[in-house]
Amino acid sequence: VLFDEVRYAQSVADLQALERAAWGRSDVVLAYVQMLGVVSPEHRSLMETVFVYGAKHQFVLTTGGPLLEHMDPGRTAGVWFLHCRLLPGPAGSGAPDPRCPRTPMRRPLSTLDLHGFLRLMEAPLTEVREDPSSVHPHHTLLQTPQLFLFSRPSTEHPDRAVATTLAWRLRGLALLMLGSGVKYLTLTNLEEVVGLFNAQERAGGHEEEEEEEEEERDADMLDDEVAESVFRSRGVSLDMDAVTLLNSDNFLPAVAEHSLTVALFYLKWDAVSMAVLSKFIEVADRLVADVQMGVVDCGEWTDLCAAQAFPSVLLLRPQETAQRYRGMLGSEALHRFILIATVCVCVYPCGHGELDHLGCGSVLLHVLHVGSITLDVCRRSQPELTVANLPSYLALGRPLLLLFVGSEEEEEDDDEWARRETQAVLREVRAAAGGGGEGGAEGYLPCWIHLGRTPAGVSVLRTYLGSLPPLPALVLSQLPSGELYHYPSHGPIVARSVLHWLEGIRDGTEPPTGTMGDDGWRPAAPLYDFLSVMDHEAPGYARPSSPRVKTGEGEEGGGREGGGGEREAQPSRPPWHSEL
Amino acid sequence: MDRFPAALLLFLVLLLSAVIGLVRAVIDQPDRYDYCVLGAGPAGMQAGHFLAKANRNYVILERNSGPGSFFNIYPRHRKLISINKIYTGRRNREFNLRHDWNSLLSDRPDLLFQRISRDLYPPADAYPRYLSLFAEELGLEVRYGVDVGRVRAVQTPSGRRYLLTDRKGTEYSCRVLLVSTGLWDPQKVEFPGWDLTESYESVSVDPEDFVDQAVLILGKGNSAFETAQSILGRASRVHLYSPSPVRLAWQTHYVGDLRAVNNELLDTYQLKSLDGLVEGGLEDIAIVRRHDDQGPHPSTPPPRRRGRRAGGAGPRETEGEERGEGRKGGGGRLYLTLADLLDNQDVRNGSRVAAANLPAYHYDNFSLRQPYDRVITCLGFTFNFSIFDGSARPPNSEVARGRLPAVSPWYEGRGTPGLFVLGTAAHSRDYRSSAGGFIHGFRYTVRAVHRVLEQRYHGNRWPSTPLSVTQLHSWILRRVNEASGPYQMFGVLGDVVLLQGSQCEYLEEFPVQALPRLPSLAGHRVPQGGLLVLVMQYGLNRSDSLGPGRSESEWTQAWRSNFLHPVLYYYDRLPTERDMRRRPAGWPLPRPKAVHHMIEDFLTEWDGPVSHGQPLRRFLEHCLQTDLRAFYAETCFLLSLTHRRPPPFCQRGYLERQGVAGEARAWRPPRDEAPPSGHDSDSSEASPSLPSYLSPAGTSVSLGSKLEL
Repeated sequence: VLFDEVRYAQSVADLQALERAAWGRSDVVLAYVQMLGVVSPEHRSLMETVFVYGAKHQFVLTTGGPLLEHMDPGRTAGVWFLHCRLLPGPAGSGAPDPRCPRTPMRRPLSTLDLHGFLRLMEAPLTEVREDPSSVHPHHTLLQTPQLFLFSRPSTEHPDRAVATTLAWRLRGLALLMLGSGVKYLTLTNLEEVVGLFNAQERAGGHEEEEEEEEEERDADMLDDEVAESVFRSRGVSLDMDAVTLLNSDNFLPAVAEHSLTVALFYLKWDAVSMAVLSKFIEVADRLVADVQMGVVDCGEWTDLCAAQAFPSVLLLRPQETAQRYRGMLGSEALHRFILIATVCVCVYPCGHGELDHLGCGSVLLHVLHVGSITLDVCRRSQPELTVANLPSYLALGRPLLLLFVGSEEEEEDDDEWARRETQAVLREVRAAAGGGGEGGAEGYLPCWIHLGRTPAGVSVLRTYLGSLPPLPALVLSQLPSGELYHYPSHGPIVARSVLHWLEGIRDGTEPPTGTMGDDGWRPAAPLYDFLSVMDHEAPGYARPSSPRVKTGEGEEGGGREGGGGEREAQPSRPPWHSEL
Repeated sequence: MDRFPAALLLFLVLLLSAVIGLVRAVIDQPDRYDYCVLGAGPAGMQAGHFLAKANRNYVILERNSGPGSFFNIYPRHRKLISINKIYTGRRNREFNLRHDWNSLLSDRPDLLFQRISRDLYPPADAYPRYLSLFAEELGLEVRYGVDVGRVRAVQTPSGRRYLLTDRKGTEYSCRVLLVSTGLWDPQKVEFPGWDLTESYESVSVDPEDFVDQAVLILGKGNSAFETAQSILGRASRVHLYSPSPVRLAWQTHYVGDLRAVNNELLDTYQLKSLDGLVEGGLEDIAIVRRHDDQGPHPSTPPPRRRGRRAGGAGPRETEGEERGEGRKGGGGRLYLTLADLLDNQDVRNGSRVAAANLPAYHYDNFSLRQPYDRVITCLGFTFNFSIFDGSARPPNSEVARGRLPAVSPWYEGRGTPGLFVLGTAAHSRDYRSSAGGFIHGFRYTVRAVHRVLEQRYHGNRWPSTPLSVTQLHSWILRRVNEASGPYQMFGVLGDVVLLQGSQCEYLEEFPVQALPRLPSLAGHRVPQGGLLVLVMQYGLNRSDSLGPGRSESEWTQAWRSNFLHPVLYYYDRLPTERDMRRRPAGWPLPRPKAVHHMIEDFLTEWDGPVSHGQPLRRFLEHCLQTDLRAFYAETCFLLSLTHRRPPPFCQRGYLERQGVAGEARAWRPPRDEAPPSGHDSDSSEASPSLPSYLSPAGTSVSLGSKLEL
């Protein structure tokens, strides 16, 4: 039902038409959501808001494209409030610029923030009679700065005019309160107040502006996501209080004093090291167990850092050989691992050979993990794939009969009905795959991804199919041929038709939907070719020289000066390269 | 029966004589060693350490009673100008060696020169003490008092050997001879009046001996300036004369050029305080003595001095006594003139010097027209070739006017296989460019030579570290940020990376001039993927060393860097000897397939993600033809499910269950993830959601054209 309340705009012209229609009538709320559908939390928040405000404002939805570039090339906001209602009369069709003034919402799209934002748009200026400390704004505005302006009865009208102007300037940034009774405060300059909020916003850790600056220099933009995220947080110094700084002097005593020391060896110029260091500190902050968390700066303490790969995490116990942590380098996995390491360790029995190469710790780690990957591999014939466990299943080398589910945005299946629905479909798929396990005719591994718990699955699906199909969606991938098959989204997923579909694939009558990428991972960016730059800017500098005539390297005659046995006359060299 | 005892007797006599002969043979047999090291200076001791560590059969032979005897005499004014910087703010020992110019390499972290002296410019006496400590703590095999006067090569059934004979007639037979005798012989120049000069080796170091004297010093190197500096406060005038203008180390980056620590005379010259520098040839001049009261036709013959001195080996402490006496004897003062003006044979032979024999007669403003009380030669030292028999004598170098032995890029004497030159005498390889003539440089070349020896004679390949390509970037950054060898021996020793698919072998500090011989010298084959060479280099040096624009900060301008900075050369095949000969002027290596300069850094910390890390990574990606970016586990998850193979980083980490977890909630798919074929038209749809960091990079670089590798 709500979908009717919401208009959709993809192009700038779409929006202009909507704005024109809204002139003098209603304000417009333009929202950008990454994708449509119930799996998208943004979309869901928006629809909830539409439910409340739908009658008051015109809601417009976009999923990107040129419109987004037009609104906000820097991508700093996801929602804009277009102030069309107060504009005088409907815009004539010939109006050169039908645009309404707009206010971006600075916060990420969530139901609470969107409510607050709209409330702020409605009442940018509130008149109060109480003492400022007793003013309690609506709960949705708790995160919004409040600016109190004070007025006297004698100047009420001009003050209100000033306050209204200021409220307009600060819309979306602050909530203005106009009160009375204070005698000593004078507002002399509106710009100072506006500047105060803008400065606050800049200083408040908003990265958008920095990013904008960096975008000006494409070549210098970090295209390595790990390096980029580490670089982006360069202003935040890591709080090393929770970890012991280990060095050559204190290492041995520090290890001897604790029953367990977990040590991270890192290099500060290695982005992966620094990304892991911040996770490591997170774990140290959370950890209540009696474990010493230590870090070794291998740029400094080279004698402690025989390890070749950085970063690495070692478990050290007094009088025992160090044990290398071989699990996922993330706070969740590391935290679990350390908790397990502090209790009595017993290896979970698992007969499958493919797990033998897993370290004891990582098997245990996974035993404790959601749903238990070990159990999955050992026993489950139809596992849920997650970021953490996918490698174990890919190692099996079997094609994946992959079901994408995710009937709710939350991570856990709160909704009993949805869960049952999912289970039912999973059963059908398993049945079609021949009971699962290696007994399946084609060795397909039936498995599933929950898009709520594994958001990266959304991108997987989008990459497979080019767009998001209705869920649940069934895909056959990881075939040796690299081909991909998407089970027709219009039909219900029942064992019989899935089987039929699989037979079609086997017979070659079912056309592949796509193929897996096979780009060989060539360099990500073009080479900055210093040689061609040299050839262009300094012709001859990089040119091979003609075979040298024996001139004694160009020594000129007559010189034999020297001190300490190391001097000689000036050689003839290229005038601008006297060094090497 | 009579005959039997006689026969027995004869037999016994024969047997006895045979035994005696055998014993005598054994006694006469020279001491046999696999390695003989000639000279217990810093280079010899450094070589001794590596030989001892490898458990080799070696001996260090030293003619004096203690190590480093050069430092007992030189520098004459007893201050070392090699930097002993013991406070660097860092605890990385390798890094600290970048600023420690005196220590030798060893595995003992505390066996550093700072144990002996904490002075930035330490006293010279400290050096022999350090060498004694070094030899003692490492238990090096040194024989003192063995003055080898003759070296010859012989062919034996087991191969070429070097026979060393000392002054006592003892012989040493060596399979490999490491010559680390340094430079001892003062440089001589044939000009009339040489005998009227004094020399650096013997001139007084007491400034009071120079009170109110005018002094001409021949030479403009550190010894000349060191001498000048000590007498500046007493001498009336100090002039330095030599063919070439003074070269300042802080301008040329060559530590053999004039160091600021010795250059006070530049001040007194430029502030016109009676001292000065003059350029002119040395072979054309003459020094003559002329009495001040001499008229245009002087009547008193100048004192005639005997010939200069004999050549040959050995310290020359006594030699100066022959020279310079001219100053004291006979009165009169010394003039610098041109040999051409002494056309009169009588004058050359010491007869009277006429006014017309002096330049001032012809050019009334000739710079050096005033007489001097003393003329001191400070012209440096040469290698002592005289102890080498023709069979074992390396030729004279082409550079340095032949003062040094000519050696191969791996420091083996030209034409003398098995004889290697180490230390200062090996400086012909990087004469006037790098640090191979100085302790802080040759300690690394000695190690390189030892690695060549280990490969050639013991089959031990050049040590190497296997790395996966995903580790290479971080490994190279580590080396450029801490390695001392390539930093000190810039342009000479470089790290070599052999590239083979997803693996590589990392070799440290190979002498890059020997690159064409890498397989035989290092025992490593050059794989299909080619190789990378990492060297440190100073730059074009076109700008004023202290002027504006002396450094670059844009990474795209890195090739114009003036200060020391890392440079990587990529070759798809091993360069040949011909390639080496044809290398561009001033380059340490031939034109490569691709080159990468890392922008010079004020702090020499090449760790900036934007200026250093990313440009390096992109260069490596092109050499290896692979994507070397790091990815969070979430991205690896996506790429593993949507590609036949995820990128190398995901293969190495994530698929091995060692992914790097990102912020799962904040994770966004990378932009350049093209959907599988068949959905190309949809790719734009996904783009708005993509993070800004993944926009196509490098596109703003107008000159960066894609290279076909």
